[in-house]
Amino acid sequence: MIRRFWVYIEQEDGKAHQVSWELLGVARKLTEEIKDELEQSGDTALVEGVLVGHQMEEVAKEALQYGADTVYYVDDPAVKHYLNKPYTSVLTQLVKKYEPEVFLIGATTLGRDLAGAVATGVGTGLTADTTHLAMGEVKNSTSKLLLATRPAFGGNVIATILCRNHRPQMATVRPRVFSMPARLPEAPGRIVREEIAITPDMINAEIIELIANKASAVKVEYADVIVAGGRGLGGAKGFELLQELADELGGVVGASRACVDAHWIAYDHQVGQTGKTVRPKLYIAAGISGAIQHKVGMQESDFILAINRDPHAPIFDIATMGIVGDLYEVIPAMIKEIRARKEAQHV
Amino acid sequence: MAMEELTVFHALVSIKQVPDTTNIRIDPETNNLIRQGIPTILNPYDAHAVAAAVEWKRKLNGKVTIITMGPAAAVTSLRECIEMGADRAILISDRAFAGADTWATSYVLTEVIKAVHEQDPIDLIFFGKQAIDGDTAQVGPGVAVRLDLPVVSYAVKIHDVNLEEKFVIIERKTENRNEVIKAKLPAALTCEKEIAEIPYASLPNLVYSLRYEPEVWTTEGPITFEPSLLGLKGSPTTVFKTGTPEKHVAGEVFKTAEVGVAGAVKIAFDRILEVEGVASMLGVQK
Amino acid sequence: MSNTEKLTFDVIVVGAGLAGSAAAVIAARGGLSVAMVERGPAPGSKNYFGGALYTHSLLDIYPDLWDRKPPLERPVTETGFWMLSKDGLVRATVQGGKLNNDPIDAYVAMRAKFDAWWADQAKKEGVFVITKTVVEDFIREGEQVIGVITDRPDGEIYAPLVIICEGVNNLLTQKLGLAKHDLQGHSSALAVKQLIALPAETINARFGLPSTNHGLAASVMGDVSMGLPGLGFLYTGIDSISIGVGVTLEALTEAGIKPYELLQRYMNHPIIAPLIAGGRLMEYGAHIIPEGGWSTMPKLYTAGVLVAGDAASMVNALHWEGTNMAITAGKAAGETAIEAHQKGDFSAKTLSAYKARLDKTFVMTDLHQYRNLSRFLKTHPDFMAIYPSFVNDALGMFFTGFGKPKNKLYKDILKSLTNRRPLLKAAGDIIAFGRTIIGI
Ligand SMILES: Cc1cc2nc3c(=O)[nH]c(=O)nc-3n(C[C@H](O)[C@H](O)[C@H](O)COP(=O)(O)OP(=O)(O)OC[C@H]3O[C@@H](n4cnc5c(N)ncnc54)[C@H](O)[C@@H]3O)c2cc1C
Ligand SMILES: Cc1cc2nc3c(=O)[nH]c(=O)nc-3n(C[C@H](O)[C@H](O)[C@H](O)COP(=O)(O)OP(=O)(O)OC[C@H]3O[C@@H](n4cnc5c(N)ncnc54)[C@H](O)[C@@H]3O)c2cc1C
Ligand SMILES: Nc1ncnc2c1ncn2[C@@H]1O[C@H](COP(=O)(O)O)[C@@H](O)[C@H]1O
Repeated sequence: MIRRFWVYIEQEDGKAHQVSWELLGVARKLTEEIKDELEQSGDTALVEGVLVGHQMEEVAKEALQYGADTVYYVDDPAVKHYLNKPYTSVLTQLVKKYEPEVFLIGATTLGRDLAGAVATGVGTGLTADTTHLAMGEVKNSTSKLLLATRPAFGGNVIATILCRNHRPQMATVRPRVFSMPARLPEAPGRIVREEIAITPDMINAEIIELIANKASAVKVEYADVIVAGGRGLGGAKGFELLQELADELGGVVGASRACVDAHWIAYDHQVGQTGKTVRPKLYIAAGISGAIQHKVGMQESDFILAINRDPHAPIFDIATMGIVGDLYEVIPAMIKEIRARKEAQHV
Repeated sequence: MAMEELTVFHALVSIKQVPDTTNIRIDPETNNLIRQGIPTILNPYDAHAVAAAVEWKRKLNGKVTIITMGPAAAVTSLRECIEMGADRAILISDRAFAGADTWATSYVLTEVIKAVHEQDPIDLIFFGKQAIDGDTAQVGPGVAVRLDLPVVSYAVKIHDVNLEEKFVIIERKTENRNEVIKAKLPAALTCEKEIAEIPYASLPNLVYSLRYEPEVWTTEGPITFEPSLLGLKGSPTTVFKTGTPEKHVAGEVFKTAEVGVAGAVKIAFDRILEVEGVASMLGVQK
Repeated sequence: MSNTEKLTFDVIVVGAGLAGSAAAVIAARGGLSVAMVERGPAPGSKNYFGGALYTHSLLDIYPDLWDRKPPLERPVTETGFWMLSKDGLVRATVQGGKLNNDPIDAYVAMRAKFDAWWADQAKKEGVFVITKTVVEDFIREGEQVIGVITDRPDGEIYAPLVIICEGVNNLLTQKLGLAKHDLQGHSSALAVKQLIALPAETINARFGLPSTNHGLAASVMGDVSMGLPGLGFLYTGIDSISIGVGVTLEALTEAGIKPYELLQRYMNHPIIAPLIAGGRLMEYGAHIIPEGGWSTMPKLYTAGVLVAGDAASMVNALHWEGTNMAITAGKAAGETAIEAHQKGDFSAKTLSAYKARLDKTFVMTDLHQYRNLSRFLKTHPDFMAIYPSFVNDALGMFFTGFGKPKNKLYKDILKSLTNRRPLLKAAGDIIAFGRTIIGI
């Protein structure tokens, strides 16, 4: 028997969403967690991508390089752009045909819109916005099940959810909570073109206009360096200072919700439970207290530097290093220091 | 408020009463959340969905029906919707529904919506973007699929509702852009807060809403549900375990008062540059 | 629904606080239709206090109080004065004995929870509660008040009697000319408070409380108020600590100290800080206390209107008594409302029965007795500063003066007092204080 671990390869205008690759990595990890079962039963596990769109061959190849054993590819001009109904019916048909055991979809606006519909369509359970995935043993279940863990109640609670009797076990997964897999130059996997007719009855809506929004130019979730500010900045102007440091470090500016709510900065900069989840190499939290909902969005960062006046601020609990002091002294000093160090290079 | 009179436009809003997550406290011993004493509120996104529905009801001389599946206490949230200008509210409440996940929830809501549609055809079905207790954002699309209706999620603006030609034009927000979508009516949408401002009701409306008693639908009727699809039984997903987010080990903390600002900053950079790949990224040496 | 019909009730109560819900429920029991208007999203959502509620006043309204499961925190099983010096503390608190009375006399409470429950009890007895609505003015017919105007569109409500329970910020009472415009500085205190979350066990351990069925209520004197005439407090909730300090507005403005600085200073006190260390700040707020009592009390009634609670500055600052006065006054107002409806007469004359009722209660007698307190504090500004620190010194010396000649010890103790204040003046202070409160 073949146990299929599916990943939805999300694309927009022919560009794959990075979360798809992160998920291929996770799916691989999950198959390794059932190695023992496979050895006993002689079953094989496959990591497989599903791709829907038009003229996406490049994306399909990329998926193989990120570790997909197979990519099922539906190519049709009618599904060039994402629309809920046609995409849902296509995926529903594919799921019924191949009966995957697990189906992972990125928890993006597109992914969450799609996943809810597909799960209902095939009549299975879906765990939204997961931040941790594992295959684990569960009482009176013959084989390991997907243990999907996610924050609930505004991040105050962590719940692990499973789907016993229905297949596939579906989950949407937050971008950036899992790291990118290595990209192999050699990709042994294969692309399988699926012929599924997009019938008119599938088209119950159409995109009539696309409006690019500038604010989204900032991509906090994919920056390697984030200089984030909180209410401690005391006002919108504070972000100019942070921007200056961010520029020196080649990073972007992030923010706590308090600042977004205060309209000091656009929502797209918000990090946390109801903002972006980030995992940069360096996260600088200046004047951020470290509320649970903020932490869940940034605690996976490689290095967290917290700057806060209050030695008891919870942010210090997760900081790799903390500085107790006034950010308006520390940040300028940091700008000075980094400039000095760069100078030192050139002489 | 007469129900009989035939109206042009009929919007239905599906709302949920949720614990105000800003006030949630966790029992430090048991790690369970302390439900007792946590105020419940109308899910904020749903409130804006209701506001949008009422806005279009006024434009098109229509009617707004509110439904919610929840405990008896949810009447307060239904009354809030009436206060905003909704005309009819239905509380779907029964022990049998308890423990429903989004799949079982969308089943019940779908059956109710079908029944309401029979009585009085619905043009638009509003949902919130997500409920702040579960943050799943699944129920809206789920219901739409069951009803086989177009669904536009993350809606920020309704440009037009054309009842003659039976289409709606809705703008939705994705990470990178806004999409303006034309969908056939009847249609469903899930709303961001931008969709409409919460109106401030007149005193008579407020008083009317405070006295309003919603219809209560149960497994006894007026419609019948398939028992095996309800509540915990009907839920594909089950909660395996819950806890609080695990704590990270706190790193070393330096006080500028002790090591000085420059001192602290120097230590910081020395350590930051140790991180794999950072030095090269910043173009400075360790 | 037609928006033309007038909203009409027998009684309108403004404010769903302690006074309001008490007045409303009593009136409703008398068969009157009562509307209670509250500006907050829910009763209590905008209210907070120290603080402790006093059982006698709750039982007075609900004899079956305990069956109704009131959301109270810890019973007060230890209470008294804490006297802070710059770096020391003398506790003069009492526990056991009378504090084991059944029922226990005082309970720590959180207003947001309690007031909501308090209003719900009134709701159960037919009171119509209108929230998220601010009463801004009155509808008059000549002298007679016949209703209120709220901030909402078409916001008029009609009733032959309006009971004002609007709390200390008594704008409406002023509008009617019953209260002098804005509270005078020396007769009203600004209280700043923080609510700090800590595990129940931690609180038990730090305050030596055997369980959550034991609680502390402390009036804190001395270094709390940076030498200003004022009083601090500390109450233990089940899993929270309420800590704050009240200082007269006048002193505060004269000293040019910011309220939160005052509180910070108090919370950083070497003895206080460890008690609250590691706690999570849950709420911060500043609120006026009408300490003027008698001297600032407005006229309590006029044609079609009664005033109760803080709105009528019914607070005994020294004993932190306010809620019970509010409730007692609310009850008296409710009873007067019933009487007035029986007579069908809402003239000032009939309504003066309200004051007659109150005069028979502890509210008026106490407020009268303490009428000079705020003036005393004004004329003895450093009273609160001197003596607590002296007591600290005195006891400190007494219990450390080992191996020293004791007669010298007593001289030193005496000196530490006279350094602060000449004997005669000190004696004067004590007598004056005694006069003010006991009225000797
Ligand atoms: C359901 C839900 C979802 C949420 N989602 C998010 C989310 O996605 N992201 C998010 O961030 N929040 C979120 N929140 C809000 C979160 O609970 C906190 O309210 C918020 O993170 C606080 O922001 P802050 O730390 O900037 O402000 P505060 O908590 O006010 O912290 C300000 C800090 O700055 C420090 N400070 C002040 N001045 C200085 C100075 N000069 N120098 C140094 N330090 C200084 C202070 O000591 C303090 O620690 C959510 C809440 C809920 C209930
Ligand atoms: C820091 C502090 C500590 C205290 N500690 C204690 C203590 O330990 N024990 C004690 O007994 N007392 C204490 N008090 C005093 C006590 O809190 C008050 O005396 C008591 O709350 C008075 O009740 P009330 O009903 O008169 O006013 P409030 O409880 O203030 O109620 C007034 C209500 O009216 C509403 N309202 C006001 N204006 C309008 C309007 N225009 N329209 C609609 N609604 C309106 C308000 O929202 C509020 O709900 C303390 C006070 C403070 C500030
Ligand atoms: N029990 C319920 N009753 C009615 N509507 C609901 C219920 N649960 C969720 N919804 C609707 O579905 C939306 C998304 O909820 P969720 O999928 O739980 O995040 C909410 O904003 C509501 O509009």
